[in-house]
Amino acid sequence: MPRLLASALQLRRDPRILKLPPYLSLLCIIVGVAWLFLLPLDQYSRRTYISENALLPGQVHTYFSGSDQNVFRAYKHEVNELVNKSNAEINDKLEPIVKDIGLKTARQNFTYRAAGHTYSGENLYAILQAPRGDATEAIVLVAAWENVKHEVNKNGIPLALTLLRYFKRWSLWSKDIILLITPDSIAGPQAWVDAYHDAHNPSHVASLPLKSGLLQGAIAIDYAQERRFESVHIVYDGVNGQLPNLDLINSIVNIAGGQMGIGVALQEMWRHNNGYSDRLRTMLRGMLKQGLGLASGAHSSFIPYHVDAVTLRPFGEGWQDEMAMGRVIEGSFRSLNNLLEHLHQSFFFYLLMQRERFVSIGTYLPSAMLVAANFTIMAIALWVKSGQPAEDASPNTKSETPSSTAAPPTTAERDLFLPLGVVALIQSLSIIPLYLFNHAPEGFLTPLFFTFAILNTLLPPALSQLLTTLPRSPTSEHQYNLIKSFSLLLLGMFLSTLATLNFSLALITGLLASPLTFLQPYKTPGARIAATVLLKTISPTAVLLAAATYWGTDVASVLKEGAVAWHICGTYSPVVVWCVWWPAWVATGVVVLGGRGNNRRAKAKTT
Amino acid sequence: MRQLLPFLSFLWVTFLSSCVFPTTASSDYHEQLNLRPLPLSALLASFNFRSNTTFSKFEKGNFRFFPRSLGQILQHAGTRELHLRFSLGRWDAEAWGARPWNGAREGGTGVELWAWLEAETDEEADQKWLTLTNALSGLFCASLNFIDGTRTTRPVVSFQPEGDHAADTDMQLLYGVLPHEVVCTENLTPFLKLLPCKGKAGIATLLDGHKLFDASWQSMAIDIRPICPSGEECVLQIEQTIDMVLDIERSKRPRDNPIPRPLPGDQLPCNTSKHYHSHDTCFPLDHSKEEWTLSQIFGKPVKGTCPLADSTVPPVCLQVPNSRSVFVSKDVAEKKNPDGVSRCFYISPETELELMLPRPDDGASTDILTPETPLLYAERSFTGHGQERGGVQTILRNPSPDAEVEFIYMETLPWFMRIYLHTMEARVAVQASSSNNKDRNSRSDDINKSLIQQVYYRPALDRARGTQLEVRMRVPPASTVFLTYDFEKSILRYTEYPPDANRGFDVAAAVITILSPGEGEGGAEAGAGARAAAAAYNLRTTSLLCSLPTPDFSMPYNVIIFTSTAIALAFGGIFNILVRRFVAADEGPEAGLAVLVGKLKARLRGAAKGVKR
Amino acid sequence: MDGAQVTPGQTAGLYTGAAVLRLAIATLLPALPDLLTGRVEISTPVTSFKRLQEGLFLYNHNVSPYDGGVYHQAPLLLPLFSLLPSFTTLPIFTYLLYIAVDLLSASALWRIADSGEAGSSALFSSPRRTKRWSGFVIAAVFLFNPFTVATCLGRSTSVFTTYAILHAIAKAVSGAPFGAMAALSFASYLSMYPLLLLPPLVLLSYDRQRPERAIRSVAKFAAICTATVAGILAILFQMSYFLTGSWEFLPSTYGVQLTLSDLTPNVGLWWYFFIEMFDSFRSFFLAVFWLHLSSYVGGLTVRIRRQPLVVLTLLLGILAIFKPYPSIGDTALFFALVPLYRHVFPLMRYTFVSAAVILYATCLGPAFYHLWIYAGSGNANFFYAITLVWNLGLSLLVCDLMFAVLRDEWEVERPEMVGKEARQI
Repeated sequence: MPRLLASALQLRRDPRILKLPPYLSLLCIIVGVAWLFLLPLDQYSRRTYISENALLPGQVHTYFSGSDQNVFRAYKHEVNELVNKSNAEINDKLEPIVKDIGLKTARQNFTYRAAGHTYSGENLYAILQAPRGDATEAIVLVAAWENVKHEVNKNGIPLALTLLRYFKRWSLWSKDIILLITPDSIAGPQAWVDAYHDAHNPSHVASLPLKSGLLQGAIAIDYAQERRFESVHIVYDGVNGQLPNLDLINSIVNIAGGQMGIGVALQEMWRHNNGYSDRLRTMLRGMLKQGLGLASGAHSSFIPYHVDAVTLRPFGEGWQDEMAMGRVIEGSFRSLNNLLEHLHQSFFFYLLMQRERFVSIGTYLPSAMLVAANFTIMAIALWVKSGQPAEDASPNTKSETPSSTAAPPTTAERDLFLPLGVVALIQSLSIIPLYLFNHAPEGFLTPLFFTFAILNTLLPPALSQLLTTLPRSPTSEHQYNLIKSFSLLLLGMFLSTLATLNFSLALITGLLASPLTFLQPYKTPGARIAATVLLKTISPTAVLLAAATYWGTDVASVLKEGAVAWHICGTYSPVVVWCVWWPAWVATGVVVLGGRGNNRRAKAKTT
Repeated sequence: MRQLLPFLSFLWVTFLSSCVFPTTASSDYHEQLNLRPLPLSALLASFNFRSNTTFSKFEKGNFRFFPRSLGQILQHAGTRELHLRFSLGRWDAEAWGARPWNGAREGGTGVELWAWLEAETDEEADQKWLTLTNALSGLFCASLNFIDGTRTTRPVVSFQPEGDHAADTDMQLLYGVLPHEVVCTENLTPFLKLLPCKGKAGIATLLDGHKLFDASWQSMAIDIRPICPSGEECVLQIEQTIDMVLDIERSKRPRDNPIPRPLPGDQLPCNTSKHYHSHDTCFPLDHSKEEWTLSQIFGKPVKGTCPLADSTVPPVCLQVPNSRSVFVSKDVAEKKNPDGVSRCFYISPETELELMLPRPDDGASTDILTPETPLLYAERSFTGHGQERGGVQTILRNPSPDAEVEFIYMETLPWFMRIYLHTMEARVAVQASSSNNKDRNSRSDDINKSLIQQVYYRPALDRARGTQLEVRMRVPPASTVFLTYDFEKSILRYTEYPPDANRGFDVAAAVITILSPGEGEGGAEAGAGARAAAAAYNLRTTSLLCSLPTPDFSMPYNVIIFTSTAIALAFGGIFNILVRRFVAADEGPEAGLAVLVGKLKARLRGAAKGVKR
Repeated sequence: MDGAQVTPGQTAGLYTGAAVLRLAIATLLPALPDLLTGRVEISTPVTSFKRLQEGLFLYNHNVSPYDGGVYHQAPLLLPLFSLLPSFTTLPIFTYLLYIAVDLLSASALWRIADSGEAGSSALFSSPRRTKRWSGFVIAAVFLFNPFTVATCLGRSTSVFTTYAILHAIAKAVSGAPFGAMAALSFASYLSMYPLLLLPPLVLLSYDRQRPERAIRSVAKFAAICTATVAGILAILFQMSYFLTGSWEFLPSTYGVQLTLSDLTPNVGLWWYFFIEMFDSFRSFFLAVFWLHLSSYVGGLTVRIRRQPLVVLTLLLGILAIFKPYPSIGDTALFFALVPLYRHVFPLMRYTFVSAAVILYATCLGPAFYHLWIYAGSGNANFFYAITLVWNLGLSLLVCDLMFAVLRDEWEVERPEMVGKEARQI
């Protein structure tokens, strides 16, 4: 291996190679983005298929109909009487109903505090024990009292109750069925699933008095609309962009579309003519949701625990009634009930662009990796460059890297300590914004943000001044190169790691940070001013502001969302913004503005 | 419906209602069916078949009622006492109360086997155990032969011999369990074959795979023990028991149409008091008391009695309050027992027994016996997530307001669950009501210390034997105790995984043996060798599903190749540098990229020349 | 910084700084140490602190900890830890013990560095030796290396082995062969593999033995050293036997390293290989792997005879890659010794590449492990691939260091070649 590298290393001597990296990394970015836009084409995306044979979706006849509708109406009356009641009253009313069905019920209290608000409530859940089973496995049916848009789940809750009553009559269940009724769609399910896996903080979330076996899957009903519906909207994004097993989505698509003749929509694409633009839009929406990493429904908090879950939401004007919705869920439960092993066959990393087309990780990952790679390439290039004596990079005197240096080791020897120190300092500084924005109460967020933005613009010049006025020998171009090299290396490293956890977030951050690759200290004032302006415009704060205004909200609410998600669901997008992107930006800023100091001194010497 | 006449008489029968059986060697073959309606429209049917044979006959191989096939196995494997269980489902103690036979005739999910073998050394015992399991697996069509060394344990205090054994014989207790075994019809058939009437006559005719395995909970048990009544010859007693809890509603469905289609709207029992009640809106009244007959539940009435059976023992008993009226077919003698909660029915060998429990008039408050509360509720579950490590948490609740419960908690875990005993702790759930914190903590601490009294622990050895853990502990009255410990999931060789590796591995139920009060202390004083006397009550928790980390089964070759390549690269690189000598770049023969580049240049030059010409 | 004089104040500052850092993390983030203890990168089946606690618990309750599949560590650790107050009640003492061990290792390292052995051994002295870091810097690099800190907080028992090895080397360079051999036998007793370091250590102590009572013949010296090690090991085993009352600790402690019966994942190359290995070839490949591991000793000792310390360093690097149960603790030991060769750094060619590779692996490893074990969305190949990368990066570093050292030697023979391009043929 060393010999291979050695022969490759010969190239390093060639000065032309050193001109290459910027273009190379530019190429990487361009290819990476272009790649993304190729994906919706038929050649690159695949038709979905079911790889877990045990699921057998749509193979069973569903009997949920007839007089069960009478029961549904009755339950609906009960639920309607509870609208605008307090959480405790609701549970007091629902619990006896569930008990009458013959289920074991229990309750759980939770209280979260985030961004100065308190999110508290009481979960009600009931376990339908598998008739011949032994509490080893379970499936969850979630019906949140309110969906993410805070509409009361007026049809979902009665439907869930009726379904459980219907399920009780069957003797074929091989897994327990858990009905979970939560006051809201984010905190409640999170608290419950945390406590179910004993990953909860007892001071905020009560432990569960009643438990069953391993959770094999979960389906959430979000059925607030009163009129008859046309098709079902499948919401599948989990916290931090984790996704449920593709087989689950496929089986539901199969059951709803194939068996019941109900359309299926994804990512709020209500109308989808399987064309390029619609596919692309679906994919991009999916990526954006994934990148933000927020909880998109009651199912989201299950997915991090390797419990595959989706939310089903009827929409549109049609002739399908609650019973049809019930049959869809019945069919899905029968499929999950068939499972012998935990869902593991199909894909966990995919981008859906239509209900029956997807791209798997192998196809799309390169685009994010290329974007991440451009930073690494630049970092290596800068490293090599910093190894060369500053005087002349002319090809004739073979510019040596220290590996086989002719000069006495002190000159071309890299002085690593200052650059390392600077990068480490900036990285450690990044804790401050993270802490501030995650712990400030909502009221303070706006002023805090703007003060931080101002400080943020002042920070790079201040740091570069500090560097130039160091007691030690003035920081050389090499050291600036090294600073940038290290920060880019870190950025590339974090992003490529992130790409495996949350592809979209990595890609978005990478694209936003990509200009940092090319910014360098410029000699001419015009270029420097331009660079400075560009630098300011791509600063995280500016981008946040722009994004907030584009989506018509204010920064405070964005930050609040982030803080809430961070405290309740453990969304790590804020960490990425403040501890990955921001330090890289600051470091680049230092480098870009840093050149100035040296030149000034040079001028002073001449005059 | 054919005309039935209510039949009343007050005849004293020397019969104790179920649960307690006189272990006297009375007449040779008994059989009896006990029916007990339970809350939530469930029905407990427990069949009991019992026959004895004297040792002398047994030794001579002269079997009358005792099944020959089993007898020969016992003789061959030197088994003194044998207990075999096939169980399915879970007993819902919250709703159904205490277990039949005080839990003495049931096992955890799957197959459970324990036996006392005549053996001086462990090796001999293992040898005989192997023989026994293999023979039984053949006899019962169950994969009992999979009870190998890793699944066999030797409990110290949990199990006590039920029979009377001579003091001098040295016996060894071996215990094996197969939680993953699915009990089904192929186990029932051989079970019935062991009966004198082979299930052709008597109450055994009711036993039908479809009904039995549609039950919410069922347990088949075989117990063989020697009994030496004073002054008589010792007999070997075999007792076969089948307990099942049937869902009346479900069992009443006709065999040809088992699908629970929704009832027609008008037949739906509704709560008419609701203001919104109308023809298309109906708040359901579930579990309405409904009538049932034997043939509805079991598909057929009892076809006479087994002629070999002791006729003084009533074949069928029903446990409902005497106030409730029961219809039976003609020439069936009903005898109410003075205890007021049970009645028995006598029939002649030829007649059919049909029995009907009419729907009680809604006024009647006590239409069924209120189930007695068990001594202890136990619930076991996993804590934590991920496939690296986890914990086991058992919640033990003592319902009685004044009496404390002392019991032995036994776990047999597979070796790939590496439990950390030092993390095991038992704590009483503290009531939030209690006042000042510090005081409470201190009190709860010293309570917690006194919870666990003795621990018998045999750690697992990789691929050799499983963990065996027996904890003798007590639960104070009216309190709940959490018993928790951590474990680590080890990753196996890829050949050691079952085909459905991602399903996980079943972990056997924990066996809880409650010591009858009074004897507990004695045992405690007696120390490690404590032979705590017969258990007052047994219960078993549900089994668990433990998911292990799995390797990729599809690529052994790739892994071998990649790893070898990595090693080769390092090895080659290091020894390359070691053995070669240095020269300056311009010395010695050309090598590496430079050569290629040079050749290429030469080629191009040549080509260019060629073009010029 | 180059060889600057260090005041006692700075020394105290360094040590207190390191100690305070560890204590602060342990006390301010009480959850972190347990998290680290659970990480497979830090604690392996043969060094895990949790397993040690279990063994201790069984030992204190008179159950033989070796009659079980959990505890695979040396018996003498048991009385040592049962002397300490129990970890559950007073964790502070355990932390203090581990911190003390770390500081002792650092001081041993310091002595090694100040001896200048790295630059100029008895038979060879590098022309670049003037350019070296002081013991202060090297100790600081060791003490503040994240891997070292993590291993200390994870309370992996490999820190004891680390200390024993460093102490042995320090004794050897300070011309105390007996002490060196004693320390080495302790190291081997704790975790077997240091026995492979015997030949170079013998040579090192032979070169550095005091002139007044020096043994001239290498053979005799080697024989004496080997006998010493054997003797001390025998005594230790005897003590363990008396302690546990049976010899079953031998298969359970060293057998598990030889047969790899516990396949818990780690950063090494063995675990996945032997998970996927066919049963019929298992024993064969075990033999091959061990043979391969020991094959380096001879080659290096002969070729770099003139600088035994280099051999030790390289061997430690190789062991950190190819051990049956490696952890980042072993890597930390290797990284502790590398800075001694500050003078040949300019001759190294792939510092940046290998550093980047190791960094990437450090970052991706936990992520992939999470995907496999917790998220369930990745499978075992993810983590396996990263261990491959990690080990390739380390082996690249080892090769590079070896190249630099050899080239350094070569430039002594041919001074005119300094700074010229060189090839190997």
